[in-house]
Amino acid sequence: MHRHRNPHLLFLFVPSLAVFAAFFLIPLTRLALTSASGPSGFNLYLLSLTHPRYLLTLVNTIVLSIVVTLVTLIISGFTGVFLTRNQFPGKSLIVSLLTFPLAFPGVVVGFMIILLVGRQGLIGDVSRFMIGQKMVLAYSITGLFLGYLYFSIPRVIITLMAAAEKIDPSLEEAARSLGASPFLVIKDILVPALIPGLISSGAICFATSMGAFGTAFTLATDIDVLPIVIYTEFTLLANIPLAAALSIILGVITWVALSVARTISGTTVAASG
Amino acid sequence: MGKKTPLFYVQLVLTLLVCSFLIIPVMQSVTAGLTKNYIIGVKSGLTFQWFLKVWELYRDTIFRSVMIALICLGCTLILGVPAAYTMVKWQNRFTRLFEELLVTPLAIPGLAIALALIISYGGYTGFRQSWSFILVGHIIFTLPFMVRSVIAVMSSIKLKEFEEGAASLGAGFWNRFFQIVIPNTMPGILAGSLMVFTLSIGEFNLTWMLHTPITKTLPVGLADSYASMRLEIGSAYTIVFFLMIIPLLVAMQAVTKPIKGKGFSEKNMIPERKSEELAENMISPTKRTELKNGHRSSSGTSLLLENCSKTFLDGTRALQPFNLTVEAGETVVILGPSGCGKTTLLRIIAGLESSDPPGRVFFGEEEVSDVPIERRNVGMVFQSYALFPNMNVRENIAYGLKVHGFGGKDLEKRVNEMLDMMKVGELRDRRIDQLSGGQKQRVALARAIAVRPRVLLMDEPLTALDAKLRDTLRMEIDSLLRHLGITSIYVTHDQAEAMALGDRIVVMEIAKVAQVGTPRQIYFQPQSRFVADFVGTINRIFCRIQAGHLLLPAGTIQLEDVPQVQGGEGEELEIFFRPEHAEVTEKGRGQLRSTVAAAFFMGDHTRLLIDWNGGEYLTIEAKGNQTFSKGQEVEIRIDPKALLTLKV
Repeated sequence: MHRHRNPHLLFLFVPSLAVFAAFFLIPLTRLALTSASGPSGFNLYLLSLTHPRYLLTLVNTIVLSIVVTLVTLIISGFTGVFLTRNQFPGKSLIVSLLTFPLAFPGVVVGFMIILLVGRQGLIGDVSRFMIGQKMVLAYSITGLFLGYLYFSIPRVIITLMAAAEKIDPSLEEAARSLGASPFLVIKDILVPALIPGLISSGAICFATSMGAFGTAFTLATDIDVLPIVIYTEFTLLANIPLAAALSIILGVITWVALSVARTISGTTVAASG
Repeated sequence: MGKKTPLFYVQLVLTLLVCSFLIIPVMQSVTAGLTKNYIIGVKSGLTFQWFLKVWELYRDTIFRSVMIALICLGCTLILGVPAAYTMVKWQNRFTRLFEELLVTPLAIPGLAIALALIISYGGYTGFRQSWSFILVGHIIFTLPFMVRSVIAVMSSIKLKEFEEGAASLGAGFWNRFFQIVIPNTMPGILAGSLMVFTLSIGEFNLTWMLHTPITKTLPVGLADSYASMRLEIGSAYTIVFFLMIIPLLVAMQAVTKPIKGKGFSEKNMIPERKSEELAENMISPTKRTELKNGHRSSSGTSLLLENCSKTFLDGTRALQPFNLTVEAGETVVILGPSGCGKTTLLRIIAGLESSDPPGRVFFGEEEVSDVPIERRNVGMVFQSYALFPNMNVRENIAYGLKVHGFGGKDLEKRVNEMLDMMKVGELRDRRIDQLSGGQKQRVALARAIAVRPRVLLMDEPLTALDAKLRDTLRMEIDSLLRHLGITSIYVTHDQAEAMALGDRIVVMEIAKVAQVGTPRQIYFQPQSRFVADFVGTINRIFCRIQAGHLLLPAGTIQLEDVPQVQGGEGEELEIFFRPEHAEVTEKGRGQLRSTVAAAFFMGDHTRLLIDWNGGEYLTIEAKGNQTFSKGQEVEIRIDPKALLTLKV
């Protein structure tokens, strides 16, 4: 508190430091070292990135994540702005319903998609009723896409609504006093103010989609995303250095995306799904 | 917000579509879990058989998940709360790095972390095959949330001031940690706990890699059931999961709402009695007569600061070396503009900062330079009062006494004495956020003097109050200090307060003492331009000495009338005078003549700004009922006795 450092504080701090070092820093270092312990050493990174199978997986995962991010931003941006700017009976219920899925682990999300568009899914029944053919989307890339959308929309809506609420209402009032229509207000005041929020939640969405495991695992599609490949390499093929290398590549990508989000928004966020 | 346009309805429908996308499968799952046969549908009948099946097959996973979540919560509390405290108190490169690192597990996919753990510790079979392996993964993943949540709350409350307040009352480190820090961080701890528990229950990515067939958790069981069981069982199991997390989510919302909201409810405030009544009642009748008769008891300690100075770690010189003596029972006011170092000076006396060597501080005969505040026995009143929010009024006042070992009847007696002296008896059970500013100030004073401190230190205690209340409380504090006879140091930037309260005033310029003296000495004999201008207003004009006279634009003053002005023949001088020592007079009687630039009616006088030297203004006080208009020509007469010469 004053002049000399309080020794008590060190005592309070060391346990966390120790646990963190033992169960995160050291293991992660060993992961990095393991990735270089195979016959090719550090060249493994180069090899895996140029190998057609892994390159394709990586590209698939990145493209899927980007598309999911863009679609989510549009849908959530639209819904989030609508909900922040309007009051109507039942609004808080709708907001609760939209954010409830935040707590679902990836497995449950996968299950939801199966219920919706799986073999016994709702959409299948509806489509059979309407066009005579059962639409089953769950086990294709569409199913995966829908699954990723399912866990991304609530996340982004919450972030955008929080950002929209922080906007000073007098900015909008000033614009209106100068004659701006609601459309112009959204275009010139709201959207520019939301851009940092959009970028940061977009980055979070991207990172979460990149690292998502549970959803893809449950849907068990033919198309492989990177986390699934890592899992298979480690568990089924015992290809440990490769699994380690791919994990590090994946980890670096998600970490960079989240750093971008953090720099822009100033707060820290998590990727999980 | 009245009429809804068609656009609104379009947007509403689209929003509802998104909502349906998310919620319909949830409803499907709930139905499936309760229906005899999902394919046939509700027509097949409702049943609980699937729940029984789930219980039979997956009971152990449910218990295991809850157990791991609870232990994980316990661990994150024990590890995270102290770590958060350290990171808030120590803001240096090292803790900032740790904060960055701590969050990294969130940025890396759980899969990778699990892999890393298996590679490092998979060899220890016992560990690998037990639930504690999963626990470790959960702790790494949830610890950042707990730490972040606690740091957020600790940063938003005035933790430093509460701790300093407790320290000034004698409380040591652990007492402060458990009695002040933890109770006031409860919202953050609660929010963090709920978050950690919910995350642990639902964690899959890490857990799937770390689990073994005998250490399955709920999400792992869910994955199992989706893959290998019929839909109805998976659905029923999912319903169990929903039932577990919904109350947690609701609780989280309830806990985080008050944190987001700011300020306290005006409805809870007790109506303030009329200020005059209070001034009357502040001191009891017998004591009041004592004071009327000029009797002042003296029970304080003298103070000596010898060659004290202060340089901060980043090199800023907060205080130049100075000496200060305060007599027992004296009230000294430290007066100066913001940033002049007056609070630093107070904190050196308090023991919250220490002077640069070779500065020394003495309380009476005892040197206290190295004695920390807990053992100096000072009473401190902070600008924002620093009343402990987790205690009511009575408990706040009792706190210092408890720390000093008072108990039982003695404690009660002293607390009641304080409550009566400050006339806050009826507020004894109130919570701090239900008090008004003036009430808080009185409770803060009561708390500080309850322990009979040797020196009472007050850091701008009235700054946060409105003008009328400030006037009243200033009188009350003055009476109180005289009655108690305690040595007091009072810091303020308000010169009226300084003049009213101080036996002596220490006027401070940036980082140095400009002048020390009684209020009259400071006002009538300022030793520098700064002091003359800071305390009251000062006017400056130039004149020349000629033939034994001071030559002013419209008249002269004989040198022998102004012995305080020194100078040789032909010399140009700067002279100063205060507004109230000049008057508007008839032509020919004054020494200055000019036009009115602005006139402000103040009630008991009119403040005139007189154009002077094109750009500078003189301030003159005009008494009585005269009115002035802009551009009006006026003649000013200055009282020769009031002229001053000042150094810069």
